[in-house]
Formats: sequence, C-alpha cells, structure tokens
Amino acid sequence: MPAADADRGDRRSGLGLQQRRALNHAAIFLTIVGLWELGSRMGWLDPLFYPRPSNILRSFWLIYIENGNIWPEIYSTASLVLSGFVAGSVLGVSLGALVGLNGMVRRFVKPYVIVLEATPRIAVAPLLIAALGFGASSKIAIIMLVCFFPPFINTLSGVVNVDEQRLELFRSLGASKLQLMRKLVLPDALPVIMAGERLAMTSALSGALVAEFIQRDQGLGALIMTYTRNLNMASSFACIFTLTILGFLIFRFMEWLDRRIAFWNSEEGLQRVGARRRKRMEGLA
Amino acid sequence: MNMPTQNSGQADTADQAADAGAKDAVVAARGLSKTFADGTVVALEGASFDIAPGSFVSLVGPSGCGKSTLLRLIAGLIDKSSGHLKVHGKPVDAPRTDVGMMFQRATLLEWRTAIENVLLPTEIKRSLTKEDRRNAAELLRMVGLHDFRFSFPTQLSGGMQQRVALARLLQTGADVLLLDEPFGALDEFTRERLNVELMRIVAEVGATTLFVTHNIAEAIFLADQVFVMTPRPGRIASIVEVPFERPRSPSLQTSPEFNEVVAEVRDILGEDH
Amino acid sequence: MSDRRSSSYALAYWALRALPHLLLLLALLPVWELAVSTGFITSILVPPPSEIIASIWELYVLDGTIYPHFLITLTETVAGFAIGAAVAITLAVCSALSETFKRYVSPYAIVLNVTPGIALTPVVIAWFGYGMGSKVALAAIISFFPIFVNALTGLLQVDRDSEEMFRSLGASDRQAFLKLRVPASLPLVFAGLKIGLTTALIGAVVAEFAQATAGVGVLMNRFSFQLDMGSSIATLLSMTLIGLLLFYAMEFLDDRVVFWRREGRRSVVSRARARRWAAKFGGHESPETEAASSK
Repeated sequence: MPAADADRGDRRSGLGLQQRRALNHAAIFLTIVGLWELGSRMGWLDPLFYPRPSNILRSFWLIYIENGNIWPEIYSTASLVLSGFVAGSVLGVSLGALVGLNGMVRRFVKPYVIVLEATPRIAVAPLLIAALGFGASSKIAIIMLVCFFPPFINTLSGVVNVDEQRLELFRSLGASKLQLMRKLVLPDALPVIMAGERLAMTSALSGALVAEFIQRDQGLGALIMTYTRNLNMASSFACIFTLTILGFLIFRFMEWLDRRIAFWNSEEGLQRVGARRRKRMEGLA
Repeated sequence: MNMPTQNSGQADTADQAADAGAKDAVVAARGLSKTFADGTVVALEGASFDIAPGSFVSLVGPSGCGKSTLLRLIAGLIDKSSGHLKVHGKPVDAPRTDVGMMFQRATLLEWRTAIENVLLPTEIKRSLTKEDRRNAAELLRMVGLHDFRFSFPTQLSGGMQQRVALARLLQTGADVLLLDEPFGALDEFTRERLNVELMRIVAEVGATTLFVTHNIAEAIFLADQVFVMTPRPGRIASIVEVPFERPRSPSLQTSPEFNEVVAEVRDILGEDH
Repeated sequence: MSDRRSSSYALAYWALRALPHLLLLLALLPVWELAVSTGFITSILVPPPSEIIASIWELYVLDGTIYPHFLITLTETVAGFAIGAAVAITLAVCSALSETFKRYVSPYAIVLNVTPGIALTPVVIAWFGYGMGSKVALAAIISFFPIFVNALTGLLQVDRDSEEMFRSLGASDRQAFLKLRVPASLPLVFAGLKIGLTTALIGAVVAEFAQATAGVGVLMNRFSFQLDMGSSIATLLSMTLIGLLLFYAMEFLDDRVVFWRREGRRSVVSRARARRWAAKFGGHESPETEAASSK
C-alpha cells in the first residue's frame, strides 16, 4: 500500500526532525551553561555574584540531600500558599457572586474595586504584618489578599456577562434566583472564574515570598534572603530553581483542575464526563 | 445543457485538449484536479471548462463539492494536483493581478477607513497617485457608499462592509472576479438587493465573474452559465446554460421558466439537496 | 453637534452619578470612626479615619515628605517597565518573524514565566546594589513576561481570511506583516502593556521592601514597623495613585493607538481623516460626512 508507506516514511522523518531539534535545544543550553562556567573560571564573571553552574549543582546536592535543609522550607511555603489560596479564592468567588447578583450593590462597590485594582496588593504586606504580628497568620493574610482579587473580579464579570437569551429562557421557565445562579450563572462563568483562579495561584507564590522576605524566619523566601546576604549565591539559585519547579507544578495542577471543572471546553473532557453520565443514566434506568 | 468532458487523466490527451481549448476563453481548464496533502480527500476531480469573456458563471452545490477549491485554484492561492488551468492563456501558478477575489467575510482592515481599505490593493503594488484616490472614491460611489468613504468598517453594517469589499475587488483592476459566497452571511433582503447591484456593476466594468453559492435560485438568477457540482469526489456534474435576457429583475424568479431551470439543477444535484 | 455642550453634559452626568457614592462614603466614615473609638474594631488593625486624614495632611501637605519618595518609585517603575517592554516586544517580533528563533527561545521564556520573578529580589539587589538600579531591574524582569506573551499571541493570531485576502492581492510577507499582522496585534499588545505596568510597580515596591534607601516602599516599611498605621495607609494611597496614574496614561495611549476598538474615538478619527483628505487631495464636496451607526 503506497499510502501506508508514505505515511510511515513521513513519521520516520518527523521523528528524525524532532530528534534533531532536541539536539539543537541541548546544544544551545549546554553552550550557555558552558560559557557561563568558563566565564566564571576565567574571571570574567565574579563568582561571588554569578555562581558557576557546577556550584549550583553542588548546592542542589547539599540542600536537598546532604543537609536536606530545604525540605522544611518547601513544606512551610507550600502549606502557606495552599491554605492562603483556598481561603482567599473561596472568599473571592463567593463575594464576587454576591456582589454580582445585585445591580445596586455592584454600582456602589465598583469605585472601590477600581481603586483597589490599581493598588499593588503585595504592597499591603508590611501593613498586615504590623497589624497581625510576625508569624503564619499575617503570611496567610497576605496570600489571601493577593488571591482574593483575581477570582473576585473574574467572578463578578462572569456573573454580569450572562447570555441574555439564556437568561430569558430561565425566566420563562419560572426559575428562582437561586436556581438561576446554580444552574446557569455560575456554570456559565466557570471558565472565567478558573482563569482568575490560575492568576491567583501564581500571585499566591509571590505573596508568600514577599511575606517571607519581610519576616525572614521560615520558608523559601527567607532561605533565599539568608543565602544571598551570606553571598552564597549558588544556594540562592538552587532555591530559585526550586521555585521554578514549584511554579511549573502549580501551573500544571491548575491546568488539570481547569480541565476537570470546566470540562466542556475540551474534547477529551466532554468524552470523559459524557461516558460517566451515560453510565449513571443507564444505571438508573 | 451539455455534459462536460469527463477527463480520465491521461496527460497527453489532456494537453491536446488544453491546446485545443477555445481561443478566446478567459479561464480554461482541462482535467483540473486537487487532492489535499494526506492523499485521501479528493477535493476536485477532472474539471474541464471554458469561460467566455464577460460572462457570469455561478458555481452551485452542497458543501464539499469543491466549489471553493476551484475558486482558490483559479485565484492561485493553492496549487493544482494535476490537469491544466489557464487564465488569459497563461498557466496559473501564483496569485495574479488580473484575477481578484472576494470572500464570505468582508476581511476589511478595522483600522482603515472605507476608502483606505479600497486603496489597499494598489498600495500593495506601488505608491498611490492622485488618480488612484479619485478612482477609489468613484468606486465607492458606484457601490453606493460615497458618503461613508471615511467611515471605519466597524461603523458600517454587514451589507455595507461587503460593498466596500466589492469596491476593493474592483480597485485591483482585475477582469476576472472570483466571489466566494460574498453575501452568504447577510440577511435575505440585503442579499437580494446586493445581487441585483452586483449584476449591474460587473456588467458596467465588463468583468468575467465566477460566483460561488449554495443557493440554487441565486445561482441561476445571476448567471449565464451554472456549474452544478457534486461532492465525494468534488466534480462538475453538469454545466447548465441560463437563457434569460439581461437586465433581469427579481420578479424573474417567480416565472415558470425560471422554475424549470431550478428543477433541472435540482435534478442533477440529486435528492439530497 | 457642539463638543463643548456635550462635554458639560457629560460632567453633569458624572457628578450626578458620583453623588450617591460620596454620600455613602460620608455616611460610612462616622460609623467607622465610632466603631474604632468604642473599641469595636481594634485601632491597630484599622486606624480611625481621623488618624488617616491627619496622616495624609501631614505627609502630603504639611511636610510633603512623600513627594521625593513618590517620584523615586514612579521613576523606577517607568524605567523598569520601559526596559522590560522594549526587550519583550523585540523578542516577540523576532519570534513572530522566525519560527526557528521562537522554537529555541520559548523554553527560556516558559522557565521565566513559571519562576515567580519576585524570588529574584535578593539576587537582583546583590547584583545591582541598594539604589534605584536593582528596583529598575526587578521591575523590568517581572514586567517582561506578560508583555512578551501578549505581543507574541497577538502577532501570531491572525485572521486566516484576511491573510488569504492579502495573498490573493499578491502581497509580500513583509507587506502582510506590516500592514496586517502588526496593526491586528495592537489591541493585545496594549493589554499586555497594561498588565506589565502593574507588575512593574509591584517589582519596584517589593525591591524597596527588601532593601532600599528611598521610595514609597521604604516609607511603608518604616511606618509599619513603627506601628503608625495612619501613615502606612497614607503611604499606601500614593502607591494607588502611582498605579492609577500609570494605568490611565496607558489607557490614554491605548485609546489613541487602538482607536478602532473605541466607539467614541472611532468617529473622531474618521472625521479627522476626512478633513485631512480634503486638505491634501481636495474634496469636490464637504467631507463632513456623519458616520453611520451599524445596524
């Protein structure tokens, strides 16, 4: 079959292309790292400020395995981020829905929202620390604050921008306000709300870091601060790359959550949930 | 009605046929075929026809019958897989200045006023002269939008936007006009009015026109010849001559003679239309 | 239609709209004050309005201590934003023009995206010192990504039909890029610039929190540690002001550049172009054609 032959040939050359590209990626990466290492060894880059890649690797070994001192800090930061995120975004979504429901309330809240949107929320950190004292509570408060706004604003706009015709359909069916909210408005706004949650999660990590920079007691932020002050830049970078990995994991997690919750936006989600519902319906019959 | 020559694909006979094609044909095709990249979808198979200068041809058929593919082949936007295609006696291998195209969407640039949109084709070729500008204003007058020449597309209704697109098409100076369901997205009333105007305008500039639609009545009302196309694989099933005098008025569409032609086309398309 | 009359109408309209808001605020202030003075709310958490107003009076009018700090933070933010935006847009244009460039640059952009830029604060301060340099650098680093990703999305996301139209006109790649892709990307570019501006301000302020000698962040830190909540909130107000100032400056630019998305601006530009056309090429009739509203 000539068609199948051509197909196989295509795939073979495609694989080759991909391998070549992966090789190029690796070559570029190694060149950058190599130049950096070389620059540091030749004294073009002050190793005190610009740590050698080899030293960063050694720091990874030290803080993860030999001393293992990064684990409690990762735990501290991650648990703060998670609790602050959950509290802040739940608050944001519920308040957003509440405010969005009533046109009157919405009108009076709007100017405050505009002012608060323009304020860098993280800037409130010192104030909250002063008010609530050092410790976990003020850190969580900061994370809650930065996690509150994106879901709040997105929920608000999602609730307000409901399709007029669907709204009319629900009214013609005599739906109550609660039914309207549960069966139309919130599901309809879900993709927008999830976009807000993603933003919130990203800023949650930043919020935690700022709180830890100021308090300098626990967590990855405090660790980076300490290492940098001691000019142990290699370990600082190991911590920063740890945050890269953490950020990546959070990103993937939020993506996964988005696919679970707003399943109707992807073909795969439609099939998965469709199959499940069919099974349930058939079980009932 | 005459059946088109069904081309079996032998290159030599097709070649002779192409050379033998009517000398004065503006668009001439022999055994024109298009297969898309994965090798399974035959979008167009063995199309052969000659289009006389100044004539109006409608391409009608259900989706997947290759009418848009045929138009894009003539426009030089896609390459043919086999067969021969000549416009003004020269093979088509790239977009050309003597062929202009108009799409279902107006594709106007939102940041340009109507007249600046009309001037775009000229601007792409060379720097503008005062004559170009006067010509563009004149074309906008021809499509009835002279008073709106400094309006932005988003300030115009859908029908007005298509008129601007038509003026832009005429500004290209092309004498072969390809229209891919140009008024398909508009409401019935606007579409009918624009169709009548389109007939007037192409007659005025004396252009050869290919008009794609899936509305049989519209196809017949506008055209001198209707290419009736069927899908899987896309091919020209028949070429129907439309006998009515010009200028035509919309009331023609209610006459029994008109309905006879409609019935004939419907017959060729089969019962699934 | 007289522009002056319509603008005074608009003013009256806005005054009428703002009135209930002001009344509500005025009604809330005594309640708040009372709640604090009776101990219903602890004053350390929420200072009474009188204290905030007194601090504002002192910082902004009496002493004017805030202004040099305000200017420093504003400068850091704008400078950082300008650098971040310049790099981001250059890289986005290169990535849009060259598939290869995009392929080999995007992994680094993604790494930069998932790393919280704030994490670099101590390192950036170690590299660029305690002065304005480190604040500008951090602002540039964290404003880079939103601008880059928006500009790139804008440049890559192009209407297929319009692209085909350009090809049918025989346009070169260069013409299609300059006349179609670049203008079509502008709304998204500006959306990115607005986000970038906000993040640049965050970068500057956070770097000031970490280590600095001047700037509103320093002031904020100082007042907070003295538990002077009134002054802290008064300082916070100037951050809001910087935020609003920059946001509206960008909004103004957006309005001018992406005029075709703004109903009001569209007709103004339409009339201006008609006038310019008439002046340059002469119109055989009055160019004062009113734009039709779309039906």
